[in-house]
Amino acid sequence: MSLFEASGVTKRFGGLTAVNGVDFRVETGEIVGLIGPNGAGKTTFFNLISGFLKPDEGDVVFEGASIVGQKPSDICKRGMTRTFQIVKPFAEMTVTDNVLVGAFNHHRDAGSARKRARAVIELVGLGPQADKLGGELTVGGRKRVELAKALATEPKLMLLDEVMAGLTPSEVAGMIEVLGRVREAGVTMVIVEHVMQVIMNLSDRIYVLHHGEAIAEGRPQEILNNPEVTKAYLGDSFLADQEAADADKAAWRESQAARDEGDGSGAPRP
Amino acid sequence: MAPSPSPGPSPAPSPGASSGTLGAPPRFFAASRARIFYLVVLALLLLLPLVSESAAVEAVMPVGLTGSALLHVFVLIFFFAFMSQAWNIIGGFAGQLSIGHAAFFGIGAYVSTICYVHLGLSPWIGMLVAAAVTSVFGAGLGLVSFHYGLKGPFFALVTVAFAEITRLVLLHWEFVGAANGILLPFEPDPTFWQFQFKGKEPYYYIALVMMLCSIALVAWIARSRFGYYLHAIRQDEDAAEAVGVPTKRCKIQAIALSAALAGMGGTFYAQYTQYIVPDDMVVGRVSVEILLGAVIGGAGTVMGPIIGAFILIPVGEATRVIFEGGGTGVSLSTLISSDLGFGEKFVAYLDYLASGGGGGLAVILYGVLLMAVVLGMPGGVLPWLSGLRQRLRRRADQAGG
Repeated sequence: MSLFEASGVTKRFGGLTAVNGVDFRVETGEIVGLIGPNGAGKTTFFNLISGFLKPDEGDVVFEGASIVGQKPSDICKRGMTRTFQIVKPFAEMTVTDNVLVGAFNHHRDAGSARKRARAVIELVGLGPQADKLGGELTVGGRKRVELAKALATEPKLMLLDEVMAGLTPSEVAGMIEVLGRVREAGVTMVIVEHVMQVIMNLSDRIYVLHHGEAIAEGRPQEILNNPEVTKAYLGDSFLADQEAADADKAAWRESQAARDEGDGSGAPRP
Repeated sequence: MAPSPSPGPSPAPSPGASSGTLGAPPRFFAASRARIFYLVVLALLLLLPLVSESAAVEAVMPVGLTGSALLHVFVLIFFFAFMSQAWNIIGGFAGQLSIGHAAFFGIGAYVSTICYVHLGLSPWIGMLVAAAVTSVFGAGLGLVSFHYGLKGPFFALVTVAFAEITRLVLLHWEFVGAANGILLPFEPDPTFWQFQFKGKEPYYYIALVMMLCSIALVAWIARSRFGYYLHAIRQDEDAAEAVGVPTKRCKIQAIALSAALAGMGGTFYAQYTQYIVPDDMVVGRVSVEILLGAVIGGAGTVMGPIIGAFILIPVGEATRVIFEGGGTGVSLSTLISSDLGFGEKFVAYLDYLASGGGGGLAVILYGVLLMAVVLGMPGGVLPWLSGLRQRLRRRADQAGG
C-alpha cells in the first residue's frame, strides 16, 4: 500500500479545468518532485490534496483512508502537512512561538511542545533567530520558519510548495542540506520546485504537470530526456526549430563528408 | 549547517531581562518589574475602600465628588476591565471583531434577574445560569458565522445585527418588562445570597475579584495551547489550519467562553444598578465601550484590557467632571454622586449630553484622546510600552558597546 495516493483528481473553476484527472502516488521514504510550467496547476493540486480545496472528482487516500472533504487541520492530525508558496509566518509571534503552534499538534502540554519546537528549530538551523518576530525575518528565514512549522507537527508526509523560491544560491544549498536531514528523520516529502537543480538532485521520482494534466512520471534522468516535458517547458515551436536546426546540421555534415570524400585525402581540415 | 547554539542550558538570563528565549515563559508577562508594579497596584486597590472616606482622599477629589463616587468610578473601572477582558478572548486573541458584546451582557443580566425575580434563585447561582445561557448564544452565533466562513467586517456586522435583534426582542417582550425593563425587588435587609449590599464596598470587592479572575483565566489561556491557537488564528487562519489548528472549533470555543464571561458581567451590573432596561444596556455604545478598553490597552495581551479600562474610565469621567454644567442646570458631579443607580445615571447622563451638557466638549476631548492613542499606538498602550522599552535597551546597548 502506498503512503499516499491520489487518483483521477479533477478541479474545475467555471469553464477552466485547473487539474484534470491526475493520478499521483507517493511511497514511504520517497522524495517526489512535482514540476510544471507556470500555471500548470501545481499549487491547485496541492490545495486539493491537502484539504484546502475539495476536488470535483477523484479520490485522495492517505495511509489507506480517504481524506477527501476533511479539514486541513484533521489531515494534519493524521500526519500530512503542507507549506505555502507565499509563506505565512505568524508575523507577531517569535520564531519559537511560530514553531510551537505546529508542535502543539501532537503535544497538548506546553512544556513538551516547547521541547519539540526547540529540536525542530535546531534541525532547520533557525537557532540564532529563535527570538525574532516572524515578520522581521528575511525571505530565507521565513522559508525556514515555514518548513519548521510544518515539521513541528510531526508529519509522515510533508508537501513543500516552493521552499526554495526567492533564496540566494547559498541559501538554496543550506535548504537542500536541511531537506536531507528531514529525510533522514524519516519524513516522506513531495516538493514543488522551479529550481531544476534542486528537484533533479533531491527527487527519487518526478511528476510533470502541464495544463492540469500529468504528462510524465519517472526518474529525474527519464524526465530530462522526455520530449513531452521539453515541449511543455519550451514549446512546440522550439522543438520544431530544433529539429530544423538538427536537420540543417546533418545536411551540412553530409555535404562536408561528401566534399572530403571528393578530395580523396580523408585528412581532417585544419 | 548553520551554527547552532550549544544544546546545553543557555546562559542564565539576568533577572528582569526580557523573556522569549526557549523554555522561558511567554512574552505576555514581560518582566518581573512589571509584576511588582501590578502587585503594588493591587495592594493599593485592596486598601482603597478603607481610606476612601478619609479627609486626605476627599481633599484630592474634584470638587463635589465624595469618596463614594470614587469607589463608584473604580467599580466602573473593574467592571469594564472585566468586560473588556471577556471581549479580549474572541476579539483580541482570536482576532474576531465583535461589536455586539452588549447582547451577551444584556442577556446575562436578564437571565439572572428573571431567575431571581420569578424563581427566587440567588443571583450568585443566576450568574452561572447566565454564563451557561450566554455561552450557548455565543456558540450558536459562532457556529452560524464561522461555519459560513464569515471573517473581519462581515463577522462584525453579524454581531451588530445579533445585538440589535436582542435589544428589539427584549424591548418588546412583555414577560421581561419590555421597554420598562425590570426593577429588582429592593431588599431592606439584604443577605449575601441576594447579591445586594447597602454600601459600595462589597460591590467594589466583588468587581475587583471578578476582574482578577478574568486576568487569571486569560493569563492561563495565553500560556496554553488554546491561547497559541487563537493567536495563530488571528494572524493567519490558513497557516494555522495547515499546522493542525482546528480553526472553526477554536473560534467557537473562544466566543462561547467570551460570551459566558460577558453574561456574568451582566449579572453583576444588574445587581449593582438594581435596574435593567434594554435601551441602556444592549446598545452599540456599550458594545463599543466594552471593546475599547482592550483596543486601547492592547488587544490580545493579558493586561491590555485592564490597562485600557484604567485609562479610559477615569479619562471619561474626568472630562465629564471638568466640563460639567452646560445648559442643563444639572451639574454632572452631583449627578455622579447622586443616589441614582448606574443605569439611571446613564439615562440622566444621556439627557445631559443631549441637552448640550458640557457643550459637548467632554465628548470631543474624549474622542481626540482616543484618536491620539489609536494613531500613536496602533497596537495599544501595552505593546507600545514594550516596544519603547526594547528601543531604549537597544540604544543603551549601542551606547555601551
